Amino acid sequence: MTICDTVDQYTIMSGDRLKIKDLLCNRLTECGWRNEVRLLCRNILLEKSANNSVSVDQLISEVTPKARTLVPDAVKKELLMKIRTILAETDEDN
Amino acid sequence: MANSNTNQLHPLGATTSQTFTTALNHTAASTIAINFRELIKEPKELDEASNYLYQALLDDVVAGIFIETHHLRKTGNLAALDGVGEENLESAFHICEMPNLDIFGISTAKKQMDCTCPNCDRLVAAARFAPHLEKCMGMGRISSRIASRRLATKEGSSASTSSTSTYLQSGGNTGGTDDEDDVDWSSDKRKKKSTQSSRNNGSKKNNGKTF
Repeated sequence: MTICDTVDQYTIMSGDRLKIKDLLCNRLTECGWRNEVRLLCRNILLEKSANNSVSVDQLISEVTPKARTLVPDAVKKELLMKIRTILAETDEDN
Repeated sequence: MANSNTNQLHPLGATTSQTFTTALNHTAASTIAINFRELIKEPKELDEASNYLYQALLDDVVAGIFIETHHLRKTGNLAALDGVGEENLESAFHICEMPNLDIFGISTAKKQMDCTCPNCDRLVAAARFAPHLEKCMGMGRISSRIASRRLATKEGSSASTSSTSTYLQSGGNTGGTDDEDDVDWSSDKRKKKSTQSSRNNGSKKNNGKTF
């Protein structure tokens, strides 16, 4: 099994994934990232709506890299630390 | 936990005594946990795992935002959220406060609303349309009274012999539904037109506006 699958399975099973995701959403909304990304999505939608053949997947794959760069460093670091602690905690319980 | 104990002590017996699915679930869960913990022991793997998790969660959030915006656009609410531009606001929805005009700038005088009667093809005011139709088609209470009165006078006039009396009666009862009789009786003095319109005109003159 790949690392990704194992991590996903375990975190979903233990309920940690939900907790981490909620934390991430809260932090991103607080720092205004969400509004920026919404504006970005809107602009891209308005641009690309001229030719109707663009799919949702394509647009999402366009938006994602830009959105990633927009995340403030502090939020990113905090989240990574949190994830690492949670993942490591399971090790300690064992 | 009792189940896992029995698993360790009697592996074969455990699978046969319990239901297959619950046994499978327990073993699957524990397998996942075991795999995961082995993975975490390596610090490099831990880094990779946490990076992967962070990326996956972020992608989920971005997809969520995009779908939300897309949905807004498809339902037309995106334009609605933007609202009307500031320069349009003044000109398009200016409140009108002049006398004799209502708030939209439309005059408050009575408007000319005329309907064409399907029976006599005349332009009638909308407010007077229903009473006109009543008389025109001969269906209301009053029309039936006129008709019965005319019938009575007609019989009376047919009985009498003097032309003047017939003239007066027919003059008094201008209009009516009997075409040939009217034309016969009042040929000389009153050129009775046999058209329906003149007859109805006459009837309206006599009996209109009684209420």
